[in-house]
Amino acid sequence: MLNRLLVALALSLGLALPAFAQSGDPERGRVISFTCSGCHGIPFYKNVYPSYSVPRIAGQSEGYIVAALKAYRSGARKHATMQAQANTLSDQDINDIAAYFVSLSEDSE
Amino acid sequence: MNHALLLLVGFISLVATVSVQASGNPARGQELSSGVCASCHGVDGNMVLDDTYPILAGQHRDYLVVALKAYRSGARDHAVMSSFAQNLSDQDIEDLAVWFSRQDGLGELTFD
Repeated sequence: MLNRLLVALALSLGLALPAFAQSGDPERGRVISFTCSGCHGIPFYKNVYPSYSVPRIAGQSEGYIVAALKAYRSGARKHATMQAQANTLSDQDINDIAAYFVSLSEDSE
Repeated sequence: MNHALLLLVGFISLVATVSVQASGNPARGQELSSGVCASCHGVDGNMVLDDTYPILAGQHRDYLVVALKAYRSGARDHAVMSSFAQNLSDQDIEDLAVWFSRQDGLGELTFD
């Protein structure tokens, strides 16, 4: 029952999402996210020490990308390369990059 | 003869390595996922209850393992995830990771 309620809630949130979408410009995001592809654009590219695959981010939810980049920028989330990259990004840059990544989801094509 | 033996040993160790790396059981992962994970991520990891939550479907298996272990250890902090990860064993994490990684979803960035 609780699960059904949650699913219903999720669906209604999903319908309402466009209203809350951040004001990112996906075209500008595409241009400035060129650097990202150096690691996130290579299939099965590995992070070193510890070794694991660099996460896939094409089609990732917009709000999650914004939250992740801001957490790296503030230092709340730790990763040397990502912190260094996020430190160079303004709020607008982050919104634009997130708008571009979410536009790559299969559903939006 | 020796070559054949060497090949055989090589093949066996290759198979052993692959099975150690992919030790998760996706069917058990699906079962686990339909519990708490599904409420926010969907059973197949393709739904987000809140836009700040990530899509998990199609994410790399080994990245999901690292992320869940980081939540469990406290290295990565999130009010909801940190507490749920506390309840997961290493095997639970492997099973969930292999399940979500095999669903259709996220992709690699491509530039033309």
